[in-house]
Amino acid sequence: MSFLAPLYLLLGGAVAVPLLIHLLRRKMGARVDFPAARYLARAEKDHSRTLKIRNLLLMLLRVVALLLIALAAARPVAQWVGAGHAPTAIAIVIDNSLSSSAVVNGRPLLDGFKAMARDVVSHATSADRVWLVDMDGRVRGGTPATVKDEIDRLEAIPGKGDPKAALARAASVVRGVGLDARQIALVTDGQRTEWQDAQSVPDAQVLLYATPGPPPTNRAVTLAEARPVRWTPRGSVAARFLSKDSTTFRMTLGGRTFARGTAAPNEEVVVHAAPPERGWVAGTVELEPDELAGDNIRHFAVWIGPAPGVTVAPSAGQFVKEAVDVLKTSGRIAQGNDITVVGADDVSSLPALITAPTDPVRIGAANRSLERAGIPWRFGSRHEDQSLVRGTGFDGVTVNAHYDLVAASGAVAETLAVVGRDAWIVAGPKYVLIGSPLVPEATNLPVRAAFVPWLGGILTERLVGEPGQAIDADPGAHLPRPRWADAIEGSDGRRTPLGESLDVPSRAGTYFLTRGDRRVGAVVVNPPAEESILDRYTAAELKSRIRTERTVVAPDAASWSSLAFRAAARRSLVEPALLLALMLLVVEAFVIGSRVRRLA
Amino acid sequence: MVSALRADLFDPASLVALGRIEIVARWIVDGFMSGLHRSPRKGFSVEFAEYRPYQPGDDLRYIDWKIAERSDRWVVRQYEEETNLRASIVLDVSKSMAWSGTQLRSLGGSASGDTAVATDRLTKLAYAEQLTAALVLLLLKQRDAVGLVRFDERVRSSIPPRARNGQWRRIISALEEPGTGKASSAPTALREASRLLTRRGLIVLISDLLMDQPDVESAMRALRAAGHDITVLHVMDPAERDFVSSGEALFVDPESDLTIPASASDVRVAYRNTVQEVIAEWRALFGSLGIGYEVVSTDAPFGVPLRRAFAARQQMP
Repeated sequence: MSFLAPLYLLLGGAVAVPLLIHLLRRKMGARVDFPAARYLARAEKDHSRTLKIRNLLLMLLRVVALLLIALAAARPVAQWVGAGHAPTAIAIVIDNSLSSSAVVNGRPLLDGFKAMARDVVSHATSADRVWLVDMDGRVRGGTPATVKDEIDRLEAIPGKGDPKAALARAASVVRGVGLDARQIALVTDGQRTEWQDAQSVPDAQVLLYATPGPPPTNRAVTLAEARPVRWTPRGSVAARFLSKDSTTFRMTLGGRTFARGTAAPNEEVVVHAAPPERGWVAGTVELEPDELAGDNIRHFAVWIGPAPGVTVAPSAGQFVKEAVDVLKTSGRIAQGNDITVVGADDVSSLPALITAPTDPVRIGAANRSLERAGIPWRFGSRHEDQSLVRGTGFDGVTVNAHYDLVAASGAVAETLAVVGRDAWIVAGPKYVLIGSPLVPEATNLPVRAAFVPWLGGILTERLVGEPGQAIDADPGAHLPRPRWADAIEGSDGRRTPLGESLDVPSRAGTYFLTRGDRRVGAVVVNPPAEESILDRYTAAELKSRIRTERTVVAPDAASWSSLAFRAAARRSLVEPALLLALMLLVVEAFVIGSRVRRLA
Repeated sequence: MVSALRADLFDPASLVALGRIEIVARWIVDGFMSGLHRSPRKGFSVEFAEYRPYQPGDDLRYIDWKIAERSDRWVVRQYEEETNLRASIVLDVSKSMAWSGTQLRSLGGSASGDTAVATDRLTKLAYAEQLTAALVLLLLKQRDAVGLVRFDERVRSSIPPRARNGQWRRIISALEEPGTGKASSAPTALREASRLLTRRGLIVLISDLLMDQPDVESAMRALRAAGHDITVLHVMDPAERDFVSSGEALFVDPESDLTIPASASDVRVAYRNTVQEVIAEWRALFGSLGIGYEVVSTDAPFGVPLRRAFAARQQMP
């Protein structure tokens, strides 16, 4: 039994009134002369037992009547005695997040959840309405048989899902059918990372079962990353593992194992490689299977190609030339004409990394050169004040002299760095334009340690090949459609045209993005790393995190199934309480009345 | 007019309100006497009183034949007895007697709905004094010697029995003296009454009997052993008998300060049973001793107890 207005229970304190009257009545009242008091004393002595019983009976009747009235004011609701249950709208929310696929006692948790859900559905009558809601918030309803089939088909998702959306959808569907008895039956493993955010379903009643006991020990790959994303053709793979002790791993690329090793807990492992594959390739970092298989493999994608040939024009400056030489020495780029690094007044071909001319008098020639190359930017006014550069990888970089970069109409470009409110470095198809010459007098960028890696990234990733990239995404996420792709390639090789958005598949893996017949990027789907941390909330802790009208915690799986309809099919006890109070008051009046009749 | 309406049958409170105690007593006795079917007793000393016309059924022995011969009228000689009876009235004037049911009105009135009556009800003492006055007058008219003993925790007044003129006045004066002491000591008063009678006589105890039975019993036994006839008029207020109030209060015995907290409605039935038991006990006790006993309610006309006392007198020689 619970109460919709529990504060009114305080009215129960009114029982103190008849109690006090009963206990203190012998100390109350006016003093009246009554010479025959000796008869009174004798009467009380002779009939004290009868009087006490009658007074106690009256007091009890009054106390119970008051308690019942207070109870009614608190609007109690409870399961009525009797067989069956009232017609109930029940939404069974099964936690099918990745953690539910953990094997406990030789059986995945999700299988147990599904069995419990089937048991609940088997108790449904034709008057009930039943839905299945998974952690993605998908709702499936129908006849009990249909819902059972849906339960059988339910599989674990590779992520944590959206508990908030699931509960909200469940509350919405049970509200929508207009039945008085409404219930959300939630079964979950109570994973902390999944239920970290408190959920609020204010107008729903939730029957909760949370898997008791400690979670199984879990090992997981929490990081798998190609560095850089474009290998020319060399690169490295970084990995990190969740484990209580050292664990062995293997790395694959294009289905081929290219590295094996042992890693310490939470240690970042970096494996260098120069594979023969070319283009966009899928890779994995894998562990030996354990109780939770879904996080024993983590996917990554990498573009592999030859080192681009780079030519540095004298107009680009000495510092740029020396940095490019360093990159050539490391093998990341080669000598060639694929890319030019050039001053703006000397641009003749693209792709190109273009710097502002060193001599201000060459600005006019530079703008004409940009126009000829089809680059929609022009140099504007020159500024000679020291300013801090803002942009990714530009910490501590200052500018002493720069030109305004003025966009021509229709310019589509990405701003990589700004000075004050002005664009300083912009990038477009096959060009990167810098608003200053890369000389120490104009900016300290060329003399900073970050310059060579930044330059390498520009030359080997942004100015090489297609504009595509690898996109990391959670399972089932919805992302903006990348402009450089028009279709997504499934694991079976079938391509699906992209719509207005990129709907990320719900299964973990690498899905290539294509433009025409060519792979131009990839969507890498991995479960969130925190989903591998299986620590659980207790049922009581979880109950406190789910704010509902009323939450009933089932102590075990059997109770959860049996309570599903009973907990929902509760009815108001206001009328019975008031009726009983009225009956007691009638009895009290009868007891008093019987005395009056005896007097008469 | 009062006499014509039989004052002995009047509501006592209304009657007492009409005049002083001795006047009211005369009305009561006059009314009582007029309603009495006179059957004069024959004794060794019978004194002629008056003539009255013969009525069928009169004893032919009392027809005055001389008058019948002279005037051709049949008249009957009326005689009044002249006895040597000595009577003593023992009146309880303790504090418990100075009470009437009107004092319970503060508890919510009476369950029987006789609030108006309760408002005008005499205290037990007022009733008893009026009854005493009437009884004294009645006995004096019988040429009996009548005395009075008033008592509370001690004897307040003690008037030896006399039949002479002036006795009536002395007793009326005594009745007007203050009393209502804290307790009742009937044995002392009864012994005093016995002492005053000097020989076998009639003792009438008028009291609410709110006293210990064993004490009364021992005193009564002594009086009976001395040959006295005794009549007890047990004066009770109706509220005292029926306990008709409905409130809750501390009920205090003004004599003993015994305090009983009670809800009248709760204990009413038990109380009434107890009162009936007490009356039965008194009746049994006095019956075993050959003592006349009558419960007198203060709302009953004075003629009722008067008749009881007079009947007792009539049984005396």
